[in-house]
Formats: sequence, C-alpha cells, structure tokens
Amino acid sequence: MKISYNWLRWYIPEVSKADKLTDVITYHIAEVETVEHRVLNTEEDWIFDIKILPNRAHDLLSHQGMARELASLLNIKFIDPTPKYKIPKSYPTKLVKRIETPKCRRYMGRIVRNIKIGPSPKWVVQHLESIGQRSINNIVDATNIVMFDCGQPAHVFDLSKVKDLKLQVRDAKHGEKMTLLGGGEKVLKKGMMVIADDYDHVLDIAGVKGGRHAELTEDTKDIILECANFDPVSIRKTAQALNIVTDAKKRFENDLSPELASYGMQELSALIYEMCPEAEFEDVVDVYPKKQEERKLSFSTEKISKILGLKVSVSEVKDILKRYHLEFTEDKGIFEIKVPAMRQDLAIEEDMAEEIGRILGYDKVKSTIPKIDFKPKVNETHVKISSARSKLLDKGYSEVMTYTFSDSGEVEVEMSASDKKFLRTNLTDGLKDSLKLNQINSPLLGMKEVKIFEIGTIFTNKGEEMRVAYNEGSKIIEKTI
Amino acid sequence: MTKENKKGTIHPLSLLADQAYKTFSDLGFEIATGPELESDWYNFYVLNFPKDHPALDMQDTFWIKNNKEKVLRTHTTTVTARAIEQAGKDGRLPAAFISIGKVFRNEATDITHEMQFFQIDGAMVGENITLADLKGVLTNFYKKMLGEDVEVEFRPSFFPFTEPSLEVFAKFKGKWLEMMGSGMLHPNVLHNCGLDPTKVQGFAFGGGLDRIAMIKWDIPDVRLFYQGDLRLNQFENEN
Repeated sequence: MKISYNWLRWYIPEVSKADKLTDVITYHIAEVETVEHRVLNTEEDWIFDIKILPNRAHDLLSHQGMARELASLLNIKFIDPTPKYKIPKSYPTKLVKRIETPKCRRYMGRIVRNIKIGPSPKWVVQHLESIGQRSINNIVDATNIVMFDCGQPAHVFDLSKVKDLKLQVRDAKHGEKMTLLGGGEKVLKKGMMVIADDYDHVLDIAGVKGGRHAELTEDTKDIILECANFDPVSIRKTAQALNIVTDAKKRFENDLSPELASYGMQELSALIYEMCPEAEFEDVVDVYPKKQEERKLSFSTEKISKILGLKVSVSEVKDILKRYHLEFTEDKGIFEIKVPAMRQDLAIEEDMAEEIGRILGYDKVKSTIPKIDFKPKVNETHVKISSARSKLLDKGYSEVMTYTFSDSGEVEVEMSASDKKFLRTNLTDGLKDSLKLNQINSPLLGMKEVKIFEIGTIFTNKGEEMRVAYNEGSKIIEKTI
Repeated sequence: MTKENKKGTIHPLSLLADQAYKTFSDLGFEIATGPELESDWYNFYVLNFPKDHPALDMQDTFWIKNNKEKVLRTHTTTVTARAIEQAGKDGRLPAAFISIGKVFRNEATDITHEMQFFQIDGAMVGENITLADLKGVLTNFYKKMLGEDVEVEFRPSFFPFTEPSLEVFAKFKGKWLEMMGSGMLHPNVLHNCGLDPTKVQGFAFGGGLDRIAMIKWDIPDVRLFYQGDLRLNQFENEN
C-alpha cells in the first residue's frame, strides 16, 4: 500500500520526519518496501510503499488507519476529521435497497441530486497522484479518496439508469453477463454476487468491479452513492474466478468491519458536497441485517510476559491500551478489553502478546538460550543418508543434485508453471545427464574420471522412496537407502 | 595425485545442511524427517491455514492429479508438525526439532525463484519456551552460519501458524537481508498437534537454505544448485 507522508500529516501533524518514520514502521508495524522522495512544485513528499500484514489489512490499507496506528504508537495527537464531514439538510428518500444474499453484510445507499461532473479540486488530484492513482472526475475521485483515506471502498451509480429507484444485492444467475467499467464482458456463475435493478440489469459485481450500464457520464446529474460490506471469502473467490484485481477487492477480501461503511458514507457525502455545493442529499438507506457483535478479550500480564520472555508491567500495558483508545478493566494484572470494530485481529491472548511485543519493540526482548536437557533421539533416515554420502565421498564420488520434475512418470501434478509435470521415478535419468555435462567439463575440473552420486526421493504409484545413485564408468547404479 | 582423486566433493547445500544440523544439535535439537509428498492436512490445515487461504491457490502449490488431498510439501513445517505431534504422544516434551528438506513451489523460475529448494525448519516446545529463547536460538544460528560479526534483527510479521509472528533479518556485508519467518506457535497449531496450549508453548521458524548458501558464497542464481554441475562444488566448511 502506497502511503503519502503529506496525506498522513493531515491527521498527525506532529509525526516524526520521513526517514525516522521509516524505522518506526519497519520495527513496529510492517515492512517498508520502498520510500520515494517526490517534489511537486515546491512541496516535498515521501511515498512509503508498505507491505501491510494480512492480519491488519482490514484497517491499515488506508491513510487514516495508518495515521491512527502511528498516533497511538508515537503517542502524538490524531486530528479526527469527522466533525468536519458535514452536509446540509438531507431529504426523505424513495430509494429501496434489498439484500437477497447472506454474503452481503451491510448495504448503504444515498441519492444525491443536482451534482455536476467536472474536474476535482487540486488537493484531491494531488493526493491521488501522490500514491500513483489517476484523477478521473470529481465524483469518481471522491470514491477513490474515501477508499485510500478511510479504507472503505465506495461506488457511485448514475441514478437515471436505475429503474424505479430499486437496487438489490443478490446471487448471480448462472450465465448472467456484465460489461465492466472500462470494457470487457464477464460471464458470471452461481456463487458470485451482483448488484442489480429489478429488471435484470447487472450494475456491479459486488465488491469487485462496477459495470458499464450505470456508469457516470458527463451529463449525469443525479447519482446513488454506495458503501457496502461483503463476505471476504466470496469476494476473493469471485475475483479469482473472473481474474479481476481491484483495490476494492483487495480490501473486501481482508474482512472489513461493516461499521466502516457508515464512516465511508459520511466522508463520501462530505467530499461530494465540497465538490458540488449545489447538490441535494437524500437520507441514507442502511440495510444492516446483523450488526457486528461486540467482543471482549481477556488477557493477563503474566501470560504476555511468559510468551514474550519479557517482564511486562501492569502500568506499561495500561499505557499502551490508553494510547490505543482501547476500553479496559483491570484487576490484579488481568485485563479485559472491548475489542474495537476495526480491530477484529485481536481475538486471543496471544494476539495481545503480539500487540504489546511489537508496540514495545521486539528489541526489548533479550535473547536467551534455553538450558534444557533435551533427550534427542537418533533419526534413522538421516543417519542412513549421511552414512551413504560419507562413504561415497570417501570413495572419491562427488555429490550432485538434479530436478525432481520429469517429462514422464507415475505421479503427476495438477498444474505446473513448467512443462515437466511428472515426478521422477528414478535418479538414474538425471544422473546420466549430469554425467554427460561433467564429462565435457572434466578437463576444467581437473578430473581424469567423473565419479558422481545423487541422494534423493523418487515417486511411484506405491509412494515415495529415498534412493542413492552413482556411476561406475558410464553405468549407473541405483539403490534404495 | 591431487586431492580430488582421493575424496569427492560435497554439494554446497549438503555442506551447509550439515553445519546447520550441528548448530541446532549442539543445543539439543533432534533431527526430524518426513515425506515430500504430503497430505493437505499437514501442509496446511494443521498449521492453522484457513480453508480459503491464498497460499492454497493453484499457482503456489503443486496438487497431485487424481489425489485431491495430496500436495508436494510447500514447507518442511510439515515435518515439524509431525514431530511435535509424535513427541506429545510419546510424552517426550520438552522437545526441539530441526529438519532440512526439499520443498516445492509452483511458480515461474528466475534467479531467486525455483520450483524446488531446501527449507530449514524447526520448533522448540515445552512449558516455558519464550520469544526470548527464539531470539537467542536464531541469533546463534545465523552467527554460526554467516559469521560472529553478523547482526540479527526481528521485525513484526504474520503467519497463520505463529502468534506473535516475526521476520528474521541478518545484516551481512553491510546489508539487511530477510532470512526466515518465525514466531510463537499458534495455540490452534498446538491443539491440532494434540497438545494442550494452556500447558505448553513454543517457538517455530522456517526459511530457505538455498538463500543462506547464495548469500554466504555469492552464488548468483538459485537454479545453479539443481543442474547436476560439479563446478558448483567448490566450497568448504570453514569450521
């Protein structure tokens, strides 16, 4: 995920300088793959490419997510933008949204009338371009800003293309077709999920990519905003089957909190109001059949200390929980926290050990070598392999390794990146090739006679077997070990 | 008569494996071995991979034709899982295991990627095995493999089978290099191996042996290891 330093500073103006921040992220959050220094006009920026870890992808694939994390980590101020997200009066709506599949966990929509499609404000273009995105038009840019800012993918439909103001999220019908935004037709299968009107117009492959039918045009005046939440497994499978990778898909497949949708809708509405002050907003339609459950997590400083091998005190833990705005109770070193909606990765005590370990820094844990009187047994397979190798080396044989994959054999792999789809049934074939190669090179190797061996596994219908093979002149001897 | 005519030369990966085995054996680790053709249970599910994990996708894993439950192991953590499961059954805890073996990934090859390579994998399980022990054991390992002046660092990471999870980095010839994944065994993994996570805990680690060899001896292309070419056998153990 590309993160702009200047964008972060909107929320955490006190953040450390860019080079120091690289270390903070590396040692406490995730790997920084690259840092690019950019100068736009006279303004400097640094773009961090961060390999967000899968267990934090639901909250850190966003600038606000990263800013919140850094504010807590560095114990600096976070400027909450929500009080600024304002729209004028909103009007009653006739929009109808239906969820017809359990794979949609929340579906929010809002009609906005009297917008004007046009170029985006300068700051929007700058923000998008800083992280390698292209500005398209004000409304599309607003949805992208929301996704990269708070992490909630958003979508906009042209209202005039949605008959009767009715939208539904449902399972795709087998063989149903949709033309994607940007072109290309996809044939859908059962198990996929779409957003459609009541007249079988598929408007969107839910959570993956929008369709051309309700695409915005220069003349679009009235729109429907969408912020939704979908089952991550379904999104991943659909995108994979259709071979579509989008930023929305990447976020949904990481199990976003349904609570994020309302936040996204608020930000999107405010952005559109900023871009189109004449716009008229209708009420938000929110279909949210099963509210995300509130979870509690209990852990003790004793257990955390025992996992980390580092004495962690009650006051250290309290300090961390406060910085991270985690509501908690504590009694004699036993904590109970209320897990925030956006932090579903915190599920077991060990997760808190990781959380506290990485926040304090793993360098705080002092290395030790355990002094335990283990009673290791001798591994017979290893002994046989080692002794076969030693004997052959002693007799002047040199060791080679060749490929397990072969043109023919008895055990075949399903799909392969290479044309060799079978597992070898012997070592002899590989050793013959090796013998030829080394005979050509023998003057270079200073050898009068090439003597080689390989120890490795072969595979037949009966199973796998460890073998050794060596040559006597041009003849290959192969044996079971 | 030259020396070569008396004794043959060892493959660099075997040389390095011997050195790695010795380093861990000196700390009481037991050598473990296991099948290359493995069940999906030991390769994935015992290790707390969810059923829909991206690593299960066809492009990474070699699934076997006409046998839906078999794969070519993608890591030797399979061996580690089998070993701690057996140790639990035999009442042999605390215990520590080390395994080095061939693993397979279904991906296009280039100078740093190969469809087959060697992984070094291990675990230590007992009542009081901590992250501090993990740090000590792995720092010791890389110092033994790459030299005493090597610096070793641990950074946050994620693996389904460990919690906390850490990436191990070593600074060799002035550059920080990603060496292996590690962490404290996830309670689900201990549970799946028949152990009681409220009574025992431990650490696990795994990474490429080929990578250590490439760094240590400046070998430019991982594919060179499997060409059957004796020109590769030019290294000696300095110990």
